[in-house]
Amino acid sequence: MDVGGLIGARVSRVEDVRLLTGRARFVDDVREPGMLEAAILRSPVPHARIVSVDVSKAAALPGVSAVVTGAEVKAAVRGPQPVTWQVIPDMFHPRTYALAVDKVTYPGQGIAAVAAKNRAVAEDALELIDVRYEELPAVSTLEQALAEDAPRLFDEWPSNVLGRTAVRTGDAAAAFAEADVVLSAEFRFPRQMGTPLETRGVVATWDPFTDRLDVWLTTQAPNIAQAAFAEVLGLPVGRIRVRTPDLGGGFGNKFDFYGDEVVACVLSRRTGKPVKLIEDRAESFVATVHSREQKVDIEVAARADGTITGMRGTVYGVLGGALGTAGLSPCWVTAASVTGPYDIAALDMNLVGVATNRTPYGSFRGYGLPKANFVHEHMVELLAKRLGMPAHDIRRRNFIKQFPHQSPVFVFDSGRYEECLDLCLAAVRDAGWERIRQDARARGAAVGIGYSFQNEVTGLGPSRIQTFAGSSHSGFDEEVVRIDSTGHVTVYTGLSAMGQGIHTALAQVAAHTLGVPLDHVTVLSGDTDSSPYSGYGTGASRGAPLGGAAVRTAATRLKAKVLRIAGHILEAAPEDLVITDGVIAVRGVPGRTVTMADIGDAAYRRLGGRLPEDETPTLEEREVYDPVNVATAFGCTAVLAEVDRETGVVTLLGYLIAHDCGTVINPMIVDGQLHGGAAQAIGGALSEELVYDADGRMRTRTFADYLLPSAAEVPPVAISHMATPADHVPGGFKGMGESGVIGGGAAIVNAIVDALPEYDLEITALPITPPRLLALMRKGTGR
Amino acid sequence: MKAAAFEYLRAASCDEAVAALAGEDTAVLAGGQSLVPLLNMRLARPRLVVDINRLADLSYLRRDNGNVVIGALTRHRAAETSAMVATDLPLLAAALRYVGHVSTRNRGTVGGSLAHADPSAELPTVAVALDASIRVQGSHGVRDIAAPDFFVGPHETALAPGELLVSVSFPVVPGAVSVQELPFRGCDLVVVAAVAVEDGICAQARIAVGGAGPTPIRASAVEEALIGRPVTDAVIAAAVAEFTCDPPDSLHAPASYRREMASVLTRRAIGTAVHT
Repeated sequence: MDVGGLIGARVSRVEDVRLLTGRARFVDDVREPGMLEAAILRSPVPHARIVSVDVSKAAALPGVSAVVTGAEVKAAVRGPQPVTWQVIPDMFHPRTYALAVDKVTYPGQGIAAVAAKNRAVAEDALELIDVRYEELPAVSTLEQALAEDAPRLFDEWPSNVLGRTAVRTGDAAAAFAEADVVLSAEFRFPRQMGTPLETRGVVATWDPFTDRLDVWLTTQAPNIAQAAFAEVLGLPVGRIRVRTPDLGGGFGNKFDFYGDEVVACVLSRRTGKPVKLIEDRAESFVATVHSREQKVDIEVAARADGTITGMRGTVYGVLGGALGTAGLSPCWVTAASVTGPYDIAALDMNLVGVATNRTPYGSFRGYGLPKANFVHEHMVELLAKRLGMPAHDIRRRNFIKQFPHQSPVFVFDSGRYEECLDLCLAAVRDAGWERIRQDARARGAAVGIGYSFQNEVTGLGPSRIQTFAGSSHSGFDEEVVRIDSTGHVTVYTGLSAMGQGIHTALAQVAAHTLGVPLDHVTVLSGDTDSSPYSGYGTGASRGAPLGGAAVRTAATRLKAKVLRIAGHILEAAPEDLVITDGVIAVRGVPGRTVTMADIGDAAYRRLGGRLPEDETPTLEEREVYDPVNVATAFGCTAVLAEVDRETGVVTLLGYLIAHDCGTVINPMIVDGQLHGGAAQAIGGALSEELVYDADGRMRTRTFADYLLPSAAEVPPVAISHMATPADHVPGGFKGMGESGVIGGGAAIVNAIVDALPEYDLEITALPITPPRLLALMRKGTGR
Repeated sequence: MKAAAFEYLRAASCDEAVAALAGEDTAVLAGGQSLVPLLNMRLARPRLVVDINRLADLSYLRRDNGNVVIGALTRHRAAETSAMVATDLPLLAAALRYVGHVSTRNRGTVGGSLAHADPSAELPTVAVALDASIRVQGSHGVRDIAAPDFFVGPHETALAPGELLVSVSFPVVPGAVSVQELPFRGCDLVVVAAVAVEDGICAQARIAVGGAGPTPIRASAVEEALIGRPVTDAVIAAAVAEFTCDPPDSLHAPASYRREMASVLTRRAIGTAVHT
C-alpha cells in the first residue's frame, strides 16, 4: 500500500555510510583500560564424565590472570543457564551451567576458561590445562538417542526424550477414516546454523566494589540478556548495563543467551578487570547454537477433488546435550505451522524433543518454518501427482480465503494468497521461464521450475499469550521519540541494529509521521541504560511491525503537541496546520509559518510567550506497544534450476519471490532481506550441513567444511511486492526479516524434481548435494 | 585461533633465509595464505618463521630457453595477469583464476602454493601436468626437482630441511587448454589439460588431476591413448576410460563420487580444450 511520503520510499540506508567506510564499531573494537582477553577450553569428546581438571600449570603461566573451571563458575553464579521458551511445561529441562561441571554432553562444551594479557597467551594457557575424561558412548544421532538401550545423557532423567506434546485441532482420526487419498512421507532436515560474519563476543566489566556489571555484547535482545545476567548472576537488573554496538549479522543465533558471556563476567569479577571474550570461527561451529535438525513423519488425508482434510504425524526435534534459550520452541513452531497457508480442518501433530550429544539447538532465521514449509509444499506436489491435478490447483483449492483465520495455533490476521500466487506466476511468465525450460529440454538439458507458497507469523507478539505459551519474556516494544531544541528528532529503541537497516526503517516512520526530512532524524539503540525496553528484542520478524508501530504512535502524539504549540505561536487552530519538511504552515495562508526548530526552542529554551501555559516543557513521547495479535506475511517463491545429469550439480538460473508484508516502509530494505534469506535457503537446500563423525565428534570446523553458498551460487533474485496491511498494527506493517529463507528449500527441490521428470524423484532430505542427487537419480532408475 | 609463540626473521637475502632455515622447526612466510591460518589454528607450530617477502629478486617472470621461469615470490595475480603467461602458459593463467579469489591471489605466491603441496590445488596440478622443474636452494647450492618427484604426499614435498623453493620453470607446450572443477566445493577436484590438435589428430596432450590422490596425478595413460588419434568423442571417452585413481572420501562426497567425477571432469577438460 503506497501511502505517499517516506513510508514506502526506496531511500538509501542511513547506516551504510558508516558501515561501508569502516566506521562501524563492533564488540571486538571495544578496548577498555586494563582489559584482559579470555579463551575457553572446549571438550573434544561428545560424552564423558570429567574425572579431574588440573589448571595449576595454566594458572602459573606468565601473563595469565585467572583460570576458572566449570565447578568454580557454578559456585560463583546464582543459577543455571535460562531456557526462555518452555513450550512443554512438564518437559525435563536439564540444569546446565556456563561451563560443564562434572559431565560433558556435547563436543565443544566449555570445560574451563582463562583470562590473560592477550588471547594468544590465553590460548597457550588452555593447552596447559589437564582434563581427564572418562568417555561415555556417544549418543550422536536421533536413532542412537531413541534406541531402547541408549546411554542416557542425564543421570537425573530416565530417557533421552526430554518431553512430548501434541498440536491438535479438529477430528484427525475421522478425516483419515473418511479420506479418498492418504499420502505419507518422512523428512530429514540436517543440522545447519546461521554464520554471521562477526562471531559472538562480549566485553564484561564487573566492578567488585560497586557490584555494577557493564557488558558489551553481541546480542539481538539486550533486555533479555540483561534479565538473563540478573537471573544467572543474582544481580538486580538496574545494576546491569548491556551495550550492543554494531552487529555484523545476527540471523537468530545472537538472539540466544550463552554461557560464554557468563564466563566473561565471572572472570571479570575474579580479576577486577574488564574481560573480552571473542568466539573464533573454529569454535563458533560448536559453541554457537545449531538449528534445523529434525525428523518429520507426516500423513495427509484428502478428498478426490484435492481438498486436504487432515494432517497428522510427528516432529522429532534433535536437540543437543543442553537446552539453549530457545528450548524446543523452533520444533514446536514446525508442528504448529505444518498446515501453512492451507485451510485444513484437522491436525494431529506430535512433538518429541530428543537430547543428543550435539551442540544445543537454537534460533536461526525462519525458526521452525522452513521445515514446515518444505513439508506442506512437498505434500501438495505429491497430492497433485497422485490425483493428476496441477499443484497450483491443489494450492488454490486449499488456500485460506477468509480472514481472520484461526489456524491450529495462531490467528492469521489477513491475506490474499491467490493474488500472491498469481503475482508470482505473472513474474514467471514475464521472465519467459516456460520458454527457457522448453528450449533447454529441446537440447537435452534438465531445466525445471519449482514453486512454494508460504505464510509466516511475524511481529511476535501479544505479551500475555506469550506467557501462556511458555515464554519467560514478553512481546511488547517500547520506543521513544524526542524533538530537541533545534527541531531535530531522535528515536530511541531497544531493538538492535545488526545490519538489517532498522535505524533507517524507524527514521522513515518518524520522519513520515512528523513531516520532517529524513536526515533530521537520528535513531539510537544499543544501551540498556538509555534505550527503551524491548520485551522480546530483535527477533521473530518484529522490528518493523512493533518498532514501527510504536514509533508511529509516539510520533503521532508528539506531532499533536507540536501543532498545539505552533497553533499558539501562529494564533491558528492546530487542525488548520500542516507540517512539511519541518516547516509548520497555516493551511491556505502562505507565509504564516514556524519551523520545527522554533517549536524546539519554544519547548526547551525560550518558553515565555510561546509555550502554552498548559503544556509541559520538552517534546518527547514514549509508546509501549503490545500487539493484540501476530501479523501474517506471505509469499510465493519460484525457482528456475538446471541439473547437470552427469554430476548432480544444480545451478539456479532464476529466483523470483512475490511477497506481501503489509505496508512496506522501505522496499529496498525488504528486497535486501528477501535476497539474504534466499541465499540462506539456497545453502540450506543444496550444500550446508554440520557433520558429526561416527564417534560423535564434530567435523565441520571451517568454511572449507561448512559449505555456504558464495556469490557464484546465488542467482539474481527479483521481488514482486503486494501489500495487505495488518489492520490491527498501527501503520499496517508486517515483519519480513525471515521470509526469504522459508520457502526457498521447497521451491528449489520442486525445481530439481521438475527438471528431471524421467526419474520421478522424491527428495525428502536436505541438503541435496550433487553426490546425493546423483545417487537418488540412480536409485530411481535402478542404475 | 591465535598462533603459538614463534621467533620471526625478516630475511634480507636468499642466503640469510637459507641459513636460517637450516635450523630446527622453521617455516617460510611468503604470501601467508596457507601458513597464517595453519599458525592461527596451531596446526603449524614452527620455532622460527622466516619472512621472505622482502626478497624482491625472487619475484619475476621471464622466458628462458623455451621455458617460462617464475620466481617463487611472484604473486598469483601477477602471473595470472601477465601477458607472457597468457601467451606461453595459458594453462597456468586459466588455472590461477580458480585459486581463491582476487584478494587471495594478490597475496598468495606461486612458490608458496607449490611448497604447500595441497593435492587438490591448481598450481601443483599444473606443475605435474607440464612436468615443471622446481628449483630449490640450500646450503649446498641449488638443485632442480621435477614436479612429479617434488610432490611426495598431501602437504609433503621433496624439500629438505634448510631448503628454500626459489623458482619454477614451466616448459612452453602447444595446444588449447581447459581447467575443470565442479561448482561444488565438497568435491575438491581439479583437472587441467593442454591438448594440441593438428589436422584433427591429437599431437600432444598434458593432463593432470588434482585431489584424486595424495599428490596430483599425471593422466599419462589418457595422454597416450589420445596422442596420434583423431579427437572424436569416442576416442576421448576411450582415453578417459584408461584413467584410474583412488581418491579418499571427502567430508561431503564419497570416494566413489569423487572417482567418477575425476573421469567426468577429465573428459570435459579434453573436450573443452579440443573444441576451443
